[in-house]
Amino acid sequence: MKDRLAAAVKQSRAGYTEIRVERTWSSTVAFRGRRLETATVSEDQGGFVRVLNEGCGWGIASFTSLDELPAMVARANDLSRAVRLDDPIRLAETAPEVADAILELDGDVRGISLSYKKKLLDRYNSAMLAVSDAIVDTQSSYRDEVSEVWYVNSEGASLYELRPEVVVSGTAIGRRNGNIEKGLESIGLRKGWNSVQNFENRFRVVAQRAVDLLDAPRVRGGAYPVILDNELAGVFIHEAFGHLSEADFVYENPQAREMMTLGRRFGKPALNVGDNGAAQGLRGTLPYDDEGTPTQDTPLIREGILVGRLHSRETAAKLGERPTGNARAISFRHPPIVRMTNTYIAPGKTGVGFNDLISDIKLGVYACGAFGGQTMLENFSFTAGWGYMIRDGKVAELVKDVVLAGNLFQTLDRIDHIAGDFTWNQMGGGCGKGGQFPLPVTEGAPHVRIEAALIGGDV
Amino acid sequence: MIDRVLDATRGKVDGGGADALWRREEQTAVAFESGRLKSAGISEQAGLNLRVLASGRMGVAGTTAAKPDPVELVGRARASAELGEIVDLAFPTGAASELPRIPTFFDRTASASLDDLIRMGRLLVERLSRPDCQVNVSVQREVADTAVGNTAGARGEYRATGIAVTADLTRIAGDDVLMVYDQYVGADMPGDADLETLVRSVETRLTAALKVVTPPDGALPVVFTPAGLAAVVLPLEQALSGKTVLQGSSPLAGKVGETMFDERLSIFDDPLTPGRPASRPIDDECVPSRATGLVERGAVGRFVYDLETAARAKTQSTGNGRRGVFGKPHIGYTNILFRGTDGAHGAHSAVLGGGLIGDIDEGLIVDDLIGVGQGNVISGAFSHPVGLAYRVQRGEVTGRVKDAAVAGNAYELLKRIGGFGSDGRWLGSRFSPSLLLEGVSVAHR
Repeated sequence: MKDRLAAAVKQSRAGYTEIRVERTWSSTVAFRGRRLETATVSEDQGGFVRVLNEGCGWGIASFTSLDELPAMVARANDLSRAVRLDDPIRLAETAPEVADAILELDGDVRGISLSYKKKLLDRYNSAMLAVSDAIVDTQSSYRDEVSEVWYVNSEGASLYELRPEVVVSGTAIGRRNGNIEKGLESIGLRKGWNSVQNFENRFRVVAQRAVDLLDAPRVRGGAYPVILDNELAGVFIHEAFGHLSEADFVYENPQAREMMTLGRRFGKPALNVGDNGAAQGLRGTLPYDDEGTPTQDTPLIREGILVGRLHSRETAAKLGERPTGNARAISFRHPPIVRMTNTYIAPGKTGVGFNDLISDIKLGVYACGAFGGQTMLENFSFTAGWGYMIRDGKVAELVKDVVLAGNLFQTLDRIDHIAGDFTWNQMGGGCGKGGQFPLPVTEGAPHVRIEAALIGGDV
Repeated sequence: MIDRVLDATRGKVDGGGADALWRREEQTAVAFESGRLKSAGISEQAGLNLRVLASGRMGVAGTTAAKPDPVELVGRARASAELGEIVDLAFPTGAASELPRIPTFFDRTASASLDDLIRMGRLLVERLSRPDCQVNVSVQREVADTAVGNTAGARGEYRATGIAVTADLTRIAGDDVLMVYDQYVGADMPGDADLETLVRSVETRLTAALKVVTPPDGALPVVFTPAGLAAVVLPLEQALSGKTVLQGSSPLAGKVGETMFDERLSIFDDPLTPGRPASRPIDDECVPSRATGLVERGAVGRFVYDLETAARAKTQSTGNGRRGVFGKPHIGYTNILFRGTDGAHGAHSAVLGGGLIGDIDEGLIVDDLIGVGQGNVISGAFSHPVGLAYRVQRGEVTGRVKDAAVAGNAYELLKRIGGFGSDGRWLGSRFSPSLLLEGVSVAHR
């Protein structure tokens, strides 16, 4: 395949040409309540061509019929030439990599029969249903894939990657007297079959929480000191800060660049943030990004000061910085754009724990888990799975509908304590941007305290 | 292609039958970033989805292979069926299928050249450019061929066009980031008037947003614009799905015919709306298209079903079957229309609030909320920070509010609607006016 792609690149008349071909084998099992929704095996394949000519824009072609490859290279070239640019697009230098990168499969999912996958998910699904009569519905899914990716460009890069992935997720829906609540568990790993066994208890716990939330009051809206648990702190840093650190937000926009000037203070000295696509064994980990650039650990905030951002080759060239290996595409159907990988808040002092963070809070909220998050530039929202009131330095009653809303700059600056209890939270789902969803990412953080944050809810 | 695959199921499904969908899509897209044309792209994709009923059990298989092997595909679908549930599903026969006439293909859209698309984008960039703002514009055109068929003899084929023109303006002043966004989506090319409407819509909302004011506080009247309405409509869409009803998680289950909402509220799903990209003569399971009254004069009308959920609920499919290349068919809405609201469509299209703010002493206009769809949607409860919202004081827009969140329960709020705007418009596949809802919680810091 590499030779076939190299031949097509050679024939290209464009200044720069890259070709990505993917073949993805996947299987899916889903339950809704006690009923099996689906159990299928799928095969998806296709290619992506992107070319650039001097004084012209990008020409892009994606396609499912690989027989069309030479024709698609020619069409991408025509498209590029139709886009005239005064200010040319440059790509930052990277050494062309030649490698075969085979990630550990940890139990190749292609060798496990679909009926075993059904049985595994059935166990997790049944564990949720068995918790209480109040669990009226569940949605459970198992999905695995092994994706083969070939990447060749006209600068000499030639890569073959084997990327595995497995995700098990379950939502338990509790209902009583017209109240409806849900609990959500999701485990997403860049591994295989062996890594998703024996999680019954985690599914039981979320179903029990859905039941408990039925009797919980809604949190009262307003500003509180808020402790984020590890999972929510990770979602927070991804949503609230990570997206602004993606250089495609600033590279063509002088005002945005000014707002995100390196050296600007973003938080107190305790705050350290980064994105590490090279971390071992995480869902957001890949040896190379989708432009063939090796991934790396990129510091973004060091001791409260903005020190870096995430780049593709184009954004790095424009800003005179180095590519960071963050150009990613969810599939051959899309161009690579600047994305996060494994984004983290670094742990605070070893030994500082959750209790040290809440002891001096008279009235506050402990926000846990994440149903999701979204940013609109400097404004963000994230929805906790559940929460507790903190009263007089102690965790008190369970509350529901905990939605945090805020302004990035104010909120980051209000992070006043960071615990030492760091964990990576490897969930399914993924990040969405520019019509590309879901991109596998991981978030990691310790418990984090925000002095004051806005919680939506009853006023 | 469909016939070859259906033929290959003969003798392999123990008399149960099969249906299939084949779709080929061609897209052409141009993107302007910060006012500059940066890229042009095409995408050509084809795929086939097969469902079999073997010994009463349902299985599916899909492929994007250029020349799919029917035998391999049928084998995979049968393996899927071996694990599948028993479904008493009857494929529609071809006999009744005099398909409704609905134009889905517009030659102007299909034949527009790359230069035509670039010209349209450039015109928008020029109209929207201003010194302190970044303008992004994208134009995306699609031509799709769809063929559906089943072993009971039903067949359907159509060709459809779609075009989406989106424009967004970003203005950053210090740490204040303002984003205003709008789109034209249709099956036919936008006319000059459509593009003018898009420009005016963006300009109107930008101009009113330049001044930032402190948000109000408390239980207030809030006008949800057609764009801002998503948080209120989403719970209804989930609750009116036959699937959620079967599952026992719909708060509207068992309420058919009961008045649950304001009596002026009527909502339809209508796949036969002219000029819309989601319109189609037949659904993805060979059921001829027709309109469904979801909410009629405040009463719960019909739930929407595909073949499988209809069979389980012992009712008929409403023609809401939708399927992709992979996975099994599922329920999907086509075009959702708010109907029977007297306001002249478009009379106030460029006026914020759709003519509803005159009597508001203190309130908000919500045009965009952040995080819609994240929470416990089906319960109707929502709580979101505002993405774009305006303060209303003594009947006038006084500026944009930031750092505020709105919360409420969609089912409760729709019981008493304060007013329907005269600014009805399409947004994606939903047509609605602005709605004035009373007693929405507004929190700020």
